[in-house]
Amino acid sequence: MSGNYYSIDVWGLVTALIMVAIAAGISEIMRMGVGRTLLWSACRALLQLCAMGFIMDFVITSNNPWLVLLLVSFMLIAAVQITLSRAKGVPKGLAGPVFLSLVITMLIMISLVTELVIRPQPWYAPQLVVPLTGMLLGNTVSALAVGLSRFFESMRERRDEVDTLLALGATTWEAARPSIISSIRLGLLPTTASLASSGIVTVPGMMAGQIIAGGNPIDAAKYQFMILAAIAALTLLADSIIMLMVYGRCFTADDRYQPVAG
Amino acid sequence: MQYVFSASDVSCEIVVDGERRMIFDDVSFAIASGEIVDLIGPSGSGKSSLLTAFAKLNPRAHGDFALQGRPASDFTPQQWRAQVAYLPQKPVLLGDCVADAIRLPYTLAVRQSSTQGDGRRGRKTRPADLLPDMRIRETLDALGCADIDLGRAPHDLSGGQAARVSLARTLLTNPTVLLADEVDAGLDDENADKVATILEHAAMDGMAVIRIRHRPTDGRATRIMRLADGVLTQVKAESRIEAAKGGDIA
Repeated sequence: MSGNYYSIDVWGLVTALIMVAIAAGISEIMRMGVGRTLLWSACRALLQLCAMGFIMDFVITSNNPWLVLLLVSFMLIAAVQITLSRAKGVPKGLAGPVFLSLVITMLIMISLVTELVIRPQPWYAPQLVVPLTGMLLGNTVSALAVGLSRFFESMRERRDEVDTLLALGATTWEAARPSIISSIRLGLLPTTASLASSGIVTVPGMMAGQIIAGGNPIDAAKYQFMILAAIAALTLLADSIIMLMVYGRCFTADDRYQPVAG
Repeated sequence: MQYVFSASDVSCEIVVDGERRMIFDDVSFAIASGEIVDLIGPSGSGKSSLLTAFAKLNPRAHGDFALQGRPASDFTPQQWRAQVAYLPQKPVLLGDCVADAIRLPYTLAVRQSSTQGDGRRGRKTRPADLLPDMRIRETLDALGCADIDLGRAPHDLSGGQAARVSLARTLLTNPTVLLADEVDAGLDDENADKVATILEHAAMDGMAVIRIRHRPTDGRATRIMRLADGVLTQVKAESRIEAAKGGDIA
């Protein structure tokens, strides 16, 4: 990367916080009721991002594969926890399937995108592996949370339909299919939207970052496309895996429909 | 008598406010081919639960069942339900038009695989070949639904029409045992009679029919069973008249 890089000092951060504070103040005056949350979230984001920055700095300079592994595992566990807390009306005991589908897609991401396409030296290059994993997890977490909530909600709404289908001899898969499809579709909506709007409406975050850091825009575009495409494919995969693993929760061992408690 | 379907030791238990409550326990029942058995009893006595238990749809029920001398464990749940067909009280019709809704059972794997024995190299059989429009038309006409166009959207149908389309859908799958949960509930006397007649015809062709009914007896049942307080008993011939007079119209 060439040297055209503009650093932000403490006053830059203060300016950003002041902007948020003004926005929060306006919302208080207009009684929109989001001011407090906005301010609180901004402070939280600042802390979290700074912490992440320091940790990444440490991991990158120490250049130790075990530290990379530790950081990635920590991100994974946090992702499972966030998915479960954001999914509403789902049965207990989904941590295993969520973890598994995140691990599978993450391993594919790292092995295919990082090791096969980008081929960094050393292979565990923290400045590559950690942000890529983060971007993937961020996407799959929201897709899984939305997908899971929608699936169990849909199965509850379709209860008479499911019972009718089973009574007519449908397998559990045939009876659950409409709910599975609608939940995957909903979970994937933001991903396909971002794929379609990138480059026209938005300059995606990663590409923007690379350009701001002085990288070649064409290179940045190539990177960004690969990441977007990989994330879209892997989000679909993660959603499909989780659906295959959990749709059976709505049925007993001999294929009777059993409403799950939310 | 040679029974086509038998059930023994059937129990059903629900949990109300964290407390287990037995709806019925140790119920036995058997029906011969060609029979029509009416199931009566007060609301909430578990008549629907008993029928969904027979169809292996009820997650809270247990029991030993046999069909044509073979235990239920010989069948997959799908094969069992294709033969012991439960017709739900609430009609749910899926599809863009009435014809699609009625053909739905033929799009399911359980009926697709059973028709692959004729050397068509496992190609998917078209539901329209298995169930041509003509047969759907005949059945609907017999049920007093001559005015229902096959291309009509199911959600445009009235409650009584939807119930009969739902009945036609199950009848046309030709099950061995039909478990009809109040099919005639929303119908006027004339159409209820048409429904009873078509079930009678199906029974004459060998189908075993169990009907949950709240209407006065229509004289078509070979036996009347009463489920109350968790016990299933046969209503004696002489008290059938009383039952007919409305004592059980709950």
